[in-house]
Amino acid sequence: MVASLYAPSEAKKALWVFLEIEGGDFAGVSIELLSKGRDLAGKAGWTVCGLLLGNDVSDLANQAYSYGADEVWLIDHPLLGEFDVCGYSHVTMQAIKVGKPSVFLLGATPNGRDLAGRLAVRLRTGLNADCTDLILDEDRGVLISEVTGFGGGVIALLESAEHCPQMSTVRPGVFVANEPEDNRQGELVNMKVKLKKADIRSTVVERHVGEGVDLTQAPVLICGGRGIDGDFEILRELAALVDGEVGATRPPVDEGHIERERQVGQTGVVCRPKVALNFGISGAFHFIVGIQDAETIIAINTDPEAPIFEHADYCIVENAHKILPELIKVLRRERESIHA
Amino acid sequence: MPDLEIVVCMKVVPKSEEVRVDTETLLLERTGVRSEINPPDMNALEMALTLKDDQPARISILSMGPPFFEPVLRVGLAMGAERFFLMSDREFAGADTLATTYTLAQGIGKIGKFDLILCGEESADGATGQVPPGLAEWLDLPQVTLATELSVDQKKRIARVRREIKGGYEIHEVKLPTVISVKTASNEPRFIDFHRKLWAFEEAEVVIWSHADVDVEHGYIGLTGSPTVVAGLREAEVRERRKEFLRGSPEEVAKEIAKRLRGILN
Amino acid sequence: MTVDQRPIEIDDALWEELIEITDGKAAPCFQCGVCTAACPWGLVRGDPLSVRSIMRGAQLGFLEAQEAIWLCTACGQCEIYCPREVPIVDVFQGLRQLLWERRKTPAGLTTVLWSVYWNNNPLSQPPSQRMGWAEGLDLQAYDSSKHEILMYFGCTASYDSRAQSVARAIVQLLRAADVSFGTLGEEEPCCGEAVLRLGHSPYFQDVAQHATDIFEKIKVGKLVTVSPHCFDVFKNHYPHINESFKPIHYTEYIAGLIEGNRLILEGSLSSKITYHDPCLLGRVNESTHYPRVILETVPDARVIEMPQSGPDTLCCGGGGGRMWMETPPGERFSDLRIQEALDVDADIIATACPLCISCLEDSIGSMGVTKLKVHDIAEIAQMALGEVSKNDPVEE
Repeated sequence: MVASLYAPSEAKKALWVFLEIEGGDFAGVSIELLSKGRDLAGKAGWTVCGLLLGNDVSDLANQAYSYGADEVWLIDHPLLGEFDVCGYSHVTMQAIKVGKPSVFLLGATPNGRDLAGRLAVRLRTGLNADCTDLILDEDRGVLISEVTGFGGGVIALLESAEHCPQMSTVRPGVFVANEPEDNRQGELVNMKVKLKKADIRSTVVERHVGEGVDLTQAPVLICGGRGIDGDFEILRELAALVDGEVGATRPPVDEGHIERERQVGQTGVVCRPKVALNFGISGAFHFIVGIQDAETIIAINTDPEAPIFEHADYCIVENAHKILPELIKVLRRERESIHA
Repeated sequence: MPDLEIVVCMKVVPKSEEVRVDTETLLLERTGVRSEINPPDMNALEMALTLKDDQPARISILSMGPPFFEPVLRVGLAMGAERFFLMSDREFAGADTLATTYTLAQGIGKIGKFDLILCGEESADGATGQVPPGLAEWLDLPQVTLATELSVDQKKRIARVRREIKGGYEIHEVKLPTVISVKTASNEPRFIDFHRKLWAFEEAEVVIWSHADVDVEHGYIGLTGSPTVVAGLREAEVRERRKEFLRGSPEEVAKEIAKRLRGILN
Repeated sequence: MTVDQRPIEIDDALWEELIEITDGKAAPCFQCGVCTAACPWGLVRGDPLSVRSIMRGAQLGFLEAQEAIWLCTACGQCEIYCPREVPIVDVFQGLRQLLWERRKTPAGLTTVLWSVYWNNNPLSQPPSQRMGWAEGLDLQAYDSSKHEILMYFGCTASYDSRAQSVARAIVQLLRAADVSFGTLGEEEPCCGEAVLRLGHSPYFQDVAQHATDIFEKIKVGKLVTVSPHCFDVFKNHYPHINESFKPIHYTEYIAGLIEGNRLILEGSLSSKITYHDPCLLGRVNESTHYPRVILETVPDARVIEMPQSGPDTLCCGGGGGRMWMETPPGERFSDLRIQEALDVDADIIATACPLCISCLEDSIGSMGVTKLKVHDIAEIAQMALGEVSKNDPVEE
């Protein structure tokens, strides 16, 4: 059997979280993992460590403490300003060899998955990806990861008790972030690492954000049909509140209310959002094909017999124009209370 | 200049809606289940074929799996790949990501020279997306994941990759050889080329390797080489839509929707 | 714009390929242009589909107007008027095949082919869900020694929720008439019509062979289809299966049951019904009689004809693989058809094809029409079943 780089017996009772930075701030999933890590470690009496990598990012440590980190292991280096999976693996490896955590959690983001995939091989350990739940068996010191496969049809519980660190990645939104404790203190561990330019192996030569429409990638899809009478402005308003994209059935596209690239369905875009909200859509088959892979479907239509309700998780028999302003009001209020 | 050597890693997956779990053995029941090529792998192959449309290239399909993969993956030959290597051996079975990536990496070593390794973003059955980085690590190569476009400058030995990120994209440049994972649905895989069909399905010789044919250490392959242990397995409830009607005034209904959105999105 | 003024580049290799693929079928064409005049695209476009110049290209060895090659709905209207009896639809499909070979096909069509390959239907739906619509109906597996007919539902009626109600209506009619019938369940093969019409002839041969093998194995006799599309391919484009094989569209079969007094429609339906002949029934297969037999049997119904009816029917726009391509608003034949039905003051526009229903209902919606409904003839007959037959247990 393959042995991991260090044995469970050598591991420290520590749970590490990779702190991913997104636009100068922690990615939501990193905060969620710190919160979950805090809950798991708290019961078992383990230490929670945030692994913070970047260029001039030490200021973020306090925030990590407030969400549950007991320690922040900081690797601050000019070459770490951009995420490069080779460079990041190189230095993370050095930290792990020193810290010898029992558990190492990363967000299942594009960068988190890249890093986790490489590290697990380098450490010769098991990696459970895209977990939907995590349990810590305190007696054995074993992390049990719940994962789904086959489009959610099968649920498996996985563990790798003989290998360290026990690695898992978790998608954003699976866990809930705790309320930050502003005065919570922690310890900063400043890691000195070896890193040279040759360790960075890919270059980002261009980056474009916020351009073009890609409905296929949207986690929230807000679709309008004939029943919204061309009022896409209010859908855009709603979309902005939930980080969604606006899509449409064929008729409003035909009538020029919205651009053709936002047409969803058989002859449009096929999407797989976490949630699709459908306003004033009757649910013709060629539209349904475009949203059938959504995790959750919500439909609002005046006709209780509309076929869309056959394909929806939540059905509301009502005029979309009546629901939309109310929904926007509620979400806006929610948003304000979070930021207040 | 020599032809671009491309290896495309592909696998066969059962159609997800047909998979059942045997509650006693904790294994997936695969008998009588329809299979297909892992859809993201089709996107990877299409990306390789698109490269070959514009420059001299040779495409090799590499897979690890049971013998029934062979007839299914011959489709790749019919689409335009030149060679097909299948690592098929009971010893390889039960592999998790670590053992899978190790085995594939050793297979790639056995194939020999290559410039590009293309993989699908993830597999429909496992959906972990961990094979491409793991493979890159075993081979000590750079990697770019979630590519939607790819061009190669053979002279400069550089690959230019468009990678999708939240709300936009980046263009990466990496040195060859490199591992690239291809974003699901980023292209429309071409259909079978019927001029190749007879050759692909009947005449082409598929290279089948057992563990003895490849330089692998026994402790690193299959179930033995897999740190991950399945402690439990169950079927999720059938994914029927709930069809739950929310009733009340528009305001009340809006609150109900917001509550559910919160549950789903947070 | 006339094509003839442009210099023509003739590619010898292409010419040979073209002649081979179109089997020389374009040869007798002498450019009279009647086809262009007959083509329904002329009704919706200022610049009509110049069938004539495409035919000329096909003779001379150049691929004229690649976009236009995908417009053909295989309605067959041009063939009716062609003085030389050129099989124009076949030529268009041959040209599409050339574009497949050159990988110059509109986006999305390859996905249709792959879906037939992996899913046994062109609609990207799970094969295991093929009989999902029939839950509780307790349909029997076909046994040639026991059953009068094999009921072939086809992909659209199996998966499209609107067309499923047509399938259910047919089941109820057959039961009301005490017909013994069986189905192939999940094993029902896709007929491949989408593949044929999209022009991938080699793959169509494969699909047809696969279905033929299944039909041979079960010793199929009378096979009744829901869709005229399946009926047409089985009848006109399939290899020989066996002596007893006889594809029948359900309208003919049901009409036979009515004429043989096995099925009695006694429920009243006082509506003005106009019948939209699907191209593949009314024109291509000259089946105009049976659908009208059914409608005229419905008590209290008044059947009125639109100006374009029978072999002269107006295409809905959904054939020839056009269901898989986007047709811009203002260019949908079905809009004209709905207007025609309104002009004769009909309450119901009846048809007998799932694709026609889809196109016509789309137009009704986009035109904001409220006083006209689209129904399949099977649904109308179901409505007209007497109370006794209607209460026959359909479920279980």
